[in-house]
Amino acid sequence: MTVQGRAKDDGQAHVDPVVLMDYWLAALSAAEEETVEEHLLACDGCGDRLRDVMQLAESLHELARSGTLQVIVDDDLLRRAEANGLRIREYGPPRGESIQCTVTADDDLLIARLALTLSTTSRVDLSWRDLQGIERQRMTDIPIRADAGSVICQQSIIWAKASPTTSRVAQLVGVDEQGHESVLGEFTFHHTRTIPGPPGWTEP
Amino acid sequence: MDAVGLSDAELVPRIADGSSEAESELCRRMAPRIRLYGLRHLRSASAADDLVQQVLLKTLEALRAGRLREPAKLAPFILGTCRMTVLDLRRTTHRQESLLAMFGNHLAPPPAAPPSVDEGQLARCVQALRERERSVIVMDFYDEHTARQTAAFLGTSEANVRVIRHRALKQLRTCMEVAR
Repeated sequence: MTVQGRAKDDGQAHVDPVVLMDYWLAALSAAEEETVEEHLLACDGCGDRLRDVMQLAESLHELARSGTLQVIVDDDLLRRAEANGLRIREYGPPRGESIQCTVTADDDLLIARLALTLSTTSRVDLSWRDLQGIERQRMTDIPIRADAGSVICQQSIIWAKASPTTSRVAQLVGVDEQGHESVLGEFTFHHTRTIPGPPGWTEP
Repeated sequence: MDAVGLSDAELVPRIADGSSEAESELCRRMAPRIRLYGLRHLRSASAADDLVQQVLLKTLEALRAGRLREPAKLAPFILGTCRMTVLDLRRTTHRQESLLAMFGNHLAPPPAAPPSVDEGQLARCVQALRERERSVIVMDFYDEHTARQTAAFLGTSEANVRVIRHRALKQLRTCMEVAR
């Protein structure tokens, strides 16, 4: 249903902002789109909300392209980023091995490619640990397909550029329905700071 | 009665009777609404401004001639005019300069609103989403990734991708409002 029956203070039903975002993303059916457009041609309140939605969409677009988020992505997004002229630095150590890595001021995206063979589609977490095995961060229930063959994790380029020389271990952890964990793969990244100047912080 | 106090439908017979005040009021109200339609379908501010001008010209011509017999159907009429004009605009970039010269004083588009999103807070809110939701947001907004492509990546249905996106956007709105 597109035009939600949310009574506002003017007594008129308005379009839910989430539906307005679908409209902006061209994700509505033709019939839903027509209903929304007729409403927008008669309702300035929803027009104002659509402008807010458009600003949010533009900001999300900029954010998605900025490389500043830590997020699981797919190969298609990397291909599009490359086609858009972004400079991608990617590291994919074999399972159980380590790799020397860095990031330069010119890099736009930093990618860790982690090989994975899944026999089931159970929950998979990505745990980031230090060399002492202490978990520093866990990405819970990452999106992954059983036949994907790898996990592509975009690291924040801002974080990486400010990082001191340090090492991190990425562990792909399978979690079954009882909460039992098993390590599906482990990959060690030895990051060397090559950008001039002091790092943004020091390791504790 | 002052045209400003009239409903959209009540402006229609006034325009047919030759009220320039009613015409101005109709243009003032409809220009920003038509522009939104143009931005959605043409993805260009200048093309949307062209659309506003052309649709208002055609609408005023029709209303002056009394061709809209049911004033309550003004919105569907303008929507139909928008659709036809977008098709025309996609076929050609030629502008109707002569018509503009006739009606141009009614047609100045409103100034664009300044950005109002706190970019830093938005990044924090997106980073706080669950992994699956964050991936959907990044891939959907990167450059209009289709729901089918995102569904293929997640190994789920397009409908489920839409549900995930809705849930993420609601959470983002809440997160942004809490921060204000």
